[in-house]
Amino acid sequence: MSTPQAIITGNRDERRTLIVIFQRGAADGLALVPPIEDDHYYRARPRLGIKKTDAVRLDDRFGLHPNLRPLAPAWQEGDLAIVHACGIEDDNRSHFEAQDLMEHGGVAAGGWLGRFLRARPSTSGALACVAVGKALPECLLGAPSVTVMQSLNDFALGGKSGDLGTQLQRLYAMENGQLGTAARDTFDAIKRIDAMRSQPYRPANGAVYETKDEFATGLQQLAQLIKADVGLEAASIDINGWDSHFTQETLLNPLATRLANGLAAFRQDLGERMQTVSVVIMTEFGRTVQENSAFGTDHGRGGAMFVLGGGVQGGRFHGAWKGLGQLVPRGLSTSYEDLPVLNNYRDVLAPVLLRHGARSEDLPKIFPDFALSPLSLYS
Amino acid sequence: MNLPRRQFLVGGTLAATLTGCGRSTREMRDDFRRLLGQPTAPLLTGPFTAPTSPTLDDASHVLNRLTFGPRPGDYARVAQLGAKAFIEEQLAPEKIEDTLCARVVRHEFDSLADPDSKLFPRKGQAQDSLAALFPTLKDRGARVGDLYDSDEKALLRDLTRSTILRAVLSERQLYEVMVQFWSDHFNIDPSKGECRWLKAADDRDVIRAHALGNFREMVRASAVSPAMLWYLDGRANRRRTPQDTPNENYARELMELHTLGVHGGYTQQDVMEVARCLTGWTCREKKKFFKGRVEFHPRDHDDGPKKVLGVNIPAGLGAADLDRVLEIVTSHPSCANYVSWKLCRRFITDEPPAAAVEATAKAFADSKGDIRTTLRALFATPEFWAEETRGAKFKRPFHFVVSAVRASHAETDASPQLVEYLQRLGHTPFRYPTPDGYPEEASHWQSTLLWRWNFAAALAENRVKGTRLVRGELRKMAGSDETLLALLLGRKPTETEQTAFAQSGGNLALALASPAFQRC
Repeated sequence: MSTPQAIITGNRDERRTLIVIFQRGAADGLALVPPIEDDHYYRARPRLGIKKTDAVRLDDRFGLHPNLRPLAPAWQEGDLAIVHACGIEDDNRSHFEAQDLMEHGGVAAGGWLGRFLRARPSTSGALACVAVGKALPECLLGAPSVTVMQSLNDFALGGKSGDLGTQLQRLYAMENGQLGTAARDTFDAIKRIDAMRSQPYRPANGAVYETKDEFATGLQQLAQLIKADVGLEAASIDINGWDSHFTQETLLNPLATRLANGLAAFRQDLGERMQTVSVVIMTEFGRTVQENSAFGTDHGRGGAMFVLGGGVQGGRFHGAWKGLGQLVPRGLSTSYEDLPVLNNYRDVLAPVLLRHGARSEDLPKIFPDFALSPLSLYS
Repeated sequence: MNLPRRQFLVGGTLAATLTGCGRSTREMRDDFRRLLGQPTAPLLTGPFTAPTSPTLDDASHVLNRLTFGPRPGDYARVAQLGAKAFIEEQLAPEKIEDTLCARVVRHEFDSLADPDSKLFPRKGQAQDSLAALFPTLKDRGARVGDLYDSDEKALLRDLTRSTILRAVLSERQLYEVMVQFWSDHFNIDPSKGECRWLKAADDRDVIRAHALGNFREMVRASAVSPAMLWYLDGRANRRRTPQDTPNENYARELMELHTLGVHGGYTQQDVMEVARCLTGWTCREKKKFFKGRVEFHPRDHDDGPKKVLGVNIPAGLGAADLDRVLEIVTSHPSCANYVSWKLCRRFITDEPPAAAVEATAKAFADSKGDIRTTLRALFATPEFWAEETRGAKFKRPFHFVVSAVRASHAETDASPQLVEYLQRLGHTPFRYPTPDGYPEEASHWQSTLLWRWNFAAALAENRVKGTRLVRGELRKMAGSDETLLALLLGRKPTETEQTAFAQSGGNLALALASPAFQRC
């Protein structure tokens, strides 16, 4: 195995990795995590409500969407925590603007994840941060170094001339001091990536990634990087298309399947290593409590946020929940009011960042102009 | 040949430049490439005399430090002109002809040169004087508002690309180096609020307008720059009732980062007092009429007496408090020391010798912040010319990428693929989130080697989309591997370098990825 000093990670030998999954399009938290014991839920959603008999029961209030069943073991084993009625403080229902606010961590410059990585006490390595996909997500703006990655080949030392590395090693061997050390660390990382790419990947513990699903293959590549000890500290990956205004089930059900299967494979593949990994799943806002006439739901406020991984106090809900009874139609309105944001997304992210090496004095820089009251996600 | 009207106009100006001067086939070809909107690079003109000294001589040293890296013919020209004459030349950018750069930048960017916008010079206008870069500040409010008509993503993309193109193409290299220096000094990340539209105006009216002008005027311009009012919350700094707490964000950074330095001798009390002085300055938001206009609202201003750094400011000055504050902080000795220290760190070494900082600070103070005078003094210090100074700076990634493009005589349109490398290297222009700007010190950038090497390989093998070099051209022009390597490294290569280069078959990537090319 690798020697810790060969990897320049901000969190040193701990080598923890934070993965942020963004569900773009506003995922319906009330379908993914239905309040199956709340009669108001079925009144507001006579056609779309997830039936109690279909849901995977989580506790005495909530169930899990049936297509998320692959995540049930993580819940039962205490590795998955959920925060409901979660979102931004702003009543902004534009996808773009709400995503921006959430990814920037407020009206702030750069992204919260980027600022977190910048605030690290030690320098991050060249492979510390990866964005899976085609473009850099806003949350990673300002990160010290980000690789937008579509394939692991992006990580190799390029060059058609095979001996570029050899000749470079020869030149850098003459270097003393900082540059020489940095070069040696880099050659070491390259070696590990080459070894990783030289043979087909076999996921551990019988995990199976759906090879035709780019969300699953993205997660698989992240698992490979984590296992190869290249110093991956943070990564982002999106799963898009949650904007279910019409015939919600045809849109949401397959997405829920992909999300759950991908994550379950990732968790199984990493096994014990999952203790060093946190996965945060977030969306820009939730959807209306009341279903609409097109078998869909519209832009709402509170949604569900998930934290999966090492050390989290899982198998339980965190944060406030007041039920749907307070949202009943009043006056001329025939619709339930929207689920309010009772839990700010920053209060979920803050404890996760602390676990990943943020110092508490950095939190006001990472989330400026906001009075944090972090949830106790960790003991 | 059916050309769009816009390109036809460019063609017209090109045709005009063609008459009266004997042009080679190569030059004609390049003119037509430009006409067709294809990327262009400066003409590769000799002689290509290579440096022969085993250490960096004066010409290589000034090219390393005052520019984003020498192009193949630059060494010969500067060696002949003399390093000191080159410094003087670069300190007077308005006298340097920069036709190609001006034309390419104007030709490339719609959002920065929208015919309907008065903000930026019109595409196709053959204005090659500095007027294009130093427009007057008149009617700022009305014009800045025009920026909101642009798509903010396109605006940022164009701003980024034009910054790269200017760094690659401009003959006014020291000016571009200083633009980058001040962009960090007065850093604004456009991703905050309406900065996404307004940063383009800040780039023109604050940074580029004063990059080699007067520091005090630059701070004044920055203080009332709409983007800065957004970025550091000055627009929300108001005090209508005694209970209102002023927003001190800008006041603090004005002293900590822009003028005095964190150990500049100010107190928390001074921060609060400066914030009080600046209450009432704001910028009209996007959703309002006259968006982007900077205004002073007397009823949001705290007009009581204040005391800043021991100097009393009487009550009732209103908007003029701003000028009093700026006078106090920019004429403070800490300001001369701090700005000079930063300049010395950029141009001499990461931990600049006190004597050099002192000499530079004296020029800064004596000239009341004249940037050219200050730089002239810096470039005259023995520390700038010292043996241990030469080649001792680690190029920041932007410098590395641009110097590689320049050294290899690649043509580039600074397309997203090039920007992607800067992103991997963590040094994309206008992407630094906090107000302190990209770090200067080498230690911050040590972990960027892999992507430097990968960029070198991609560039040498023509795998960076939008950026192209004619393979073999450099080698042919240099005449031998040793000359080529000397041109790239700015000195006679060591034996190890020469052997490695020869064994790699003269691989350009190896030279650009080598330790020596990471330094300047």
